[in-house]
Amino acid sequence: MLTLIGAAVLIASVTLYLALPVAALFVRITPDLFFSTLADPEVASALWLSLFTSTVSLAVVILVGTPFAYVHCRNAYPGKVIVDTLIDLPLVLPPAVAGVALLVLWGRAGILGRYFNILGVSIAFTTLAVIMAQIFVASPFYLRQAKSLFEQLDPSYEQAALTLGASPLRTFALVTLPLTAGGLVSGAVMTFGRALGEFGATIMFAGNLPGVTQTMPLAVYVGMEGNLSVGLTISILLVLISFAIMIAVRLLAQREVPRA
Amino acid sequence: MKIASLGIILGMLVLCALFAGCTTSSTPAQAPVTAVATAVPSAPAATLQPVATIALPISTPAAVATTSTPAPVYTASEGNVVAYTAASLKGVSSKLASDFEAMYPGHHVVFNLDGTQALKTQVQNGAYADVFISASNAYTTELTKGGYFVEGTVKPLTSNYVIVILPANNPANIQSLADLAKPGVKIAMEDKTVPAGTATIEALANLAKSTYNPAWNTSVFKNVVTYETSEPGVATKISLGEVDAGFVYESTYTAAPKGTYTAITIPKKDNYLQIYTIGILKGSTNKGAAADFENFMLSSVGQKDLRDYGFRAISTT
Repeated sequence: MLTLIGAAVLIASVTLYLALPVAALFVRITPDLFFSTLADPEVASALWLSLFTSTVSLAVVILVGTPFAYVHCRNAYPGKVIVDTLIDLPLVLPPAVAGVALLVLWGRAGILGRYFNILGVSIAFTTLAVIMAQIFVASPFYLRQAKSLFEQLDPSYEQAALTLGASPLRTFALVTLPLTAGGLVSGAVMTFGRALGEFGATIMFAGNLPGVTQTMPLAVYVGMEGNLSVGLTISILLVLISFAIMIAVRLLAQREVPRA
Repeated sequence: MKIASLGIILGMLVLCALFAGCTTSSTPAQAPVTAVATAVPSAPAATLQPVATIALPISTPAAVATTSTPAPVYTASEGNVVAYTAASLKGVSSKLASDFEAMYPGHHVVFNLDGTQALKTQVQNGAYADVFISASNAYTTELTKGGYFVEGTVKPLTSNYVIVILPANNPANIQSLADLAKPGVKIAMEDKTVPAGTATIEALANLAKSTYNPAWNTSVFKNVVTYETSEPGVATKISLGEVDAGFVYESTYTAAPKGTYTAITIPKKDNYLQIYTIGILKGSTNKGAAADFENFMLSSVGQKDLRDYGFRAISTT
C-alpha cells in the first residue's frame, strides 16, 4: 500500500511540475481578454511570421536534409565522424551563441557577409535571417531522426528493388521513403516545433522588428515587459500549437521501420 | 499500471481544481505576486537588524552581465546593497561600486543592469532589490503607485539626452539628421517599452514638428531594422558595424573611447531630457545600507562619477 502511495506521489509531482506552469498561463488571463487580444495587430503579425518562417525552415531542412542523411548513411567517406558530430552541435550549443556566431559570419561586417553586402544583399536583420537561425538550431532534430531511420532500415528492401532494375533514385523515392515516412514526419514535426520556439539566435541575428523579424517568442518577451495581455495571449497560442505538435508526433511515431 | 493511473488521476484532480477558478480569474493586472523564490526571511520593514544570509556568490559589479534573464534573488547581508539599475549606467557602474565602497568601508553594491522595463517587471513579480534606479519617470510613478518604494526616498538622480551615433567609419555617409530618412539607411532603436525608446520617439516627433516634416519621421521609422530591448543593445549593434545609425543616450557616446562612434547631436529644444530617479524599495531587508547607497549616489562623489561618464546634473528647476 505504502509503495503504491509513494509511487503515486512521485508521478503526481512530476506531472504537476510540468503541467502547473502551463495551466497557470490559462488562469492568469480571462477568456474575453484573450480573444480580444487575438485581434491585436502585433499578435497577428507575430503569429503569421512565426508560422511562415517555421514552414519555410522546415521545407528547407526536409528538402536538403533527407538526401543528405541518405548519402551520409549509405557511404563511408573521410570525415564522416566529424560530420556526424557537427550535426549534433546545434543541439548542445546555446541558442544565443548560435545567434552571435551567425551574426559574426553573415552580418554586414561579417566574415562572409561583407561580400554579400558589397553585392547589395542584406542578411542580418531580415526575415531571411530568421529562417537561417531557425534552420541552424532546428535541423539536428530532423537530421538525427532521418539518419537513424535510414541506418535501421533493412537494406534488403533496397537491394531487392535495385536487383529488379530500379535506379537508385527510384529506389529511394518508392521504396526507402515510404518505409521511413512515419519516422521522418515525426522528426519533421519536432523540427517545426523547435523552429517555432527559437528565440536566442533570432533576437541576436535577426533583431526585433514587428512584421519582419518579431516572431512569437520575441513578441512574448517584449510583451511581458510592456503589454502583459499580448505576452500572455501569444504564450497561450504557443502552448496550444505545442500540444498539437506533441499529439501529432505521438500518432505518427507509432509506425515502426522494418528492421534488418 | 495501477500506480501510474493513480498518479495521473491525482494530478488531473488538482488541475481541475485550478481550472474551476478559471472563470473568475483576475485580469493580467500588475498584481504583485509576493512569493519570493528563495528563503528570504521576511523581517518587519522598519528594523535594521542583520538578517541571516544564505551564502551566495556576490559577483563584483563589473562582472554583472546585461543579459535580460530574470535576476537571481539575492539575499542581503548587512552592508550589501542589491541595486536594480537602468542599463545605461553599465559603463559607470564599476566606478560607482568602488567609490561607494571607499566612502562606506565594509559596504558592497551589486548592480543588476537591465532595461528599466525588465527590472520593473521583475520587482513587480517578487524579485528582491534594495534600491531601484529607474530611467523613466513613468515607470517610477508606476512603482510608486504600486507601493513599492519607501515614502520619501524617491529622488531625482541624474539626467540624459538622446543622441544619434554612427559607426566610426560612417558607412552610410550620414551628415545630418535629415540623412536618417534616406532610403536604405539601417537604424537601430530601442523598443518603445524601453525608456530610451520612448525618449527617442518623443525627440523624433519634436524634430518632425519643428524642423522636418511628418514624412521625414515616417521615413526614419521605415529605416529601423531592429527594436532592441535595452539601450546598450543599440550601442553594440553600432560597434559591430551592423547598422548605420542608432539612438542612444549622450552618456554612452561620451563615455566611449574616442573614435568608437561618430555622433550627430539632436538640438536641445527638440530633445527629450530623460530624468533618472533612485529609490529604496519597501521589500528591502537592508534599508540602512540602501540609504547609505542612495546618499552616496546623490553626494558630490557619486554625482561627479555620473558626470564623468557623460550624464547630466539634475536641473534645479
